[in-house]
Amino acid sequence: MEMTGKSVNNVEVVFLNGRLDAYNSNLVEGKFNEIIDSGKVQIVADLSGVDYISSSGLRVMLSSLKKLNKMGGTLKLSCLQHYVLEVFEIAGFTQLFQIYDSDKEAIASF
Amino acid sequence: MDPLSITLFTDLVEKVCVIIVIAYLLSRFKYFTEVLEGKLTIKNQIIFILIFGAISIYGSYSGVNIFGAIANVRDLGPMVAGLIGGPVVGLGAGLIGGLHRLTMGGFTCVPCSLSTVLAGLFAGIIYLANKKRFIGIWGAVLFSILMETFHMMLALILASPFAQALAVVENLFVPMILANAVGMFIFAFMITNLIKERQTKKERDKLHAQLERKKKELEIAHQIQESFLPHTIPYIENYQLAASSIPAQEVGGDFYDFIPISGKQTGLTIGDVSGKGIPAALFMAFSRTLLRAKACRNPGVGRMIESVNNFINEEPHSDMFVTLFYGVLDDENNKLTFVNAGHNPPLLWKNETKDIIKLSTGGVVLGAMKGLKMDEKTINIDPGDLLVLYTDGVTEAVNKQEAQFGEEHLIKLIQKNHNLQVEDLKNKIIDEVYDFASGTPQADDITLLVLRRNG
Repeated sequence: MEMTGKSVNNVEVVFLNGRLDAYNSNLVEGKFNEIIDSGKVQIVADLSGVDYISSSGLRVMLSSLKKLNKMGGTLKLSCLQHYVLEVFEIAGFTQLFQIYDSDKEAIASF
Repeated sequence: MDPLSITLFTDLVEKVCVIIVIAYLLSRFKYFTEVLEGKLTIKNQIIFILIFGAISIYGSYSGVNIFGAIANVRDLGPMVAGLIGGPVVGLGAGLIGGLHRLTMGGFTCVPCSLSTVLAGLFAGIIYLANKKRFIGIWGAVLFSILMETFHMMLALILASPFAQALAVVENLFVPMILANAVGMFIFAFMITNLIKERQTKKERDKLHAQLERKKKELEIAHQIQESFLPHTIPYIENYQLAASSIPAQEVGGDFYDFIPISGKQTGLTIGDVSGKGIPAALFMAFSRTLLRAKACRNPGVGRMIESVNNFINEEPHSDMFVTLFYGVLDDENNKLTFVNAGHNPPLLWKNETKDIIKLSTGGVVLGAMKGLKMDEKTINIDPGDLLVLYTDGVTEAVNKQEAQFGEEHLIKLIQKNHNLQVEDLKNKIIDEVYDFASGTPQADDITLLVLRRNG
């Protein structure tokens, strides 16, 4: 799982690359926690490099969203591949997350 | 060292080797390990006293006579006995060796006998001072050197004439100390090895017992979980029903259920808890019980699931959630009213059009958030219609090339085999999934429920 990040206007953008399966999801959770611990609560996850997401992946996204919401922040998603978007739709997660076509739109929405 | 000392020394080392062989054989005795584990029963103490007393006597006999004095490893037996068995054992072995030495006579017989007795006693005191544990290799070697030095001093003080005693001590001092120190080193080395060996074995046994217990617990969890799945398939007039759940591990997070609501209404449900293992299994049991309690004799669907969702969110179940499809089948007007909370849409094969309809209502998984609205839909089940409910273990089964079985594959399979009996169709799908995976281990639970209205 490749993870890189950048800060734009107080928003932390995280690029995820790889399969969001049980193993990688734990890594992503660690990365999100790291960002949250450093005091940043506005996160955009760029999922353009994610071609698979399992229920563990959904779990990590949801728990991170809940955690951030409690702290007055949020997790927004951008650039979802077709399959991943479908999984989000089936799980009803499109109602929980704000999803954008590009990082730019996601960052501008804060 | 002069030539006499060298022959003396090699001679003594040979004797030490004999003692080591005896000691090795001893160490394989259960009494030896029992004493090392601190089981100082009277029987064990007596056996130890006799054995190390005998070793001490052998030390005397194997000694080499020099100007009327005997260079020997007589003290070694009582020292080892005391260091691992305490003062009683050390003193006992020392008395045997010492009294025997007394009978051999010679002008140094009093100091030599006395030092053998004291060697056992001092070793026993060291054992007590070290909290009834063996002092370790280097402590034991140091003790043997000090003890033999003391032995020589006793000889100088107690033996007369002094000039003769001094001559003996001059010759014996180095070889006696070396021989006893080497003997003690090898003995101590063997003892510490044995102690380590026992500890490793103990830890291994403990680990083994823990593993066994875990396995047993998993088996019990598996049995408990199976008891949460329906034991029988209910009879619904004009309908046929088949269902199976195959967990990927001993316990799983999938479930299905049939809930009696009224004479003509039956609740059908299938669910999948996020995660695996015991936490998922417990959450599954909780969700399934909660749903059953709320749904029994409650013809509502959307509102009822909303209340289940709120209830799950009341409890801080960390970040677990459950995907759930729940429908109430009315076998009188042949309608299915359902809610889909984030579950893979069940596939309804229409007999008339041969089309597949996916049953979804856009609901969010249960446990994600409180207060979510759950829309319900109602659909007609016409004669010959076939409904397949499944969990993602079916569509997300992967083969060696990491390709997924996929929903399309499942749809084609249903269309091709729609005229099979429900039980056969269910088995056909499971077989096909296993064939597709061709040996790739099952990563997720596989659950299937097939319903058909008689044509």
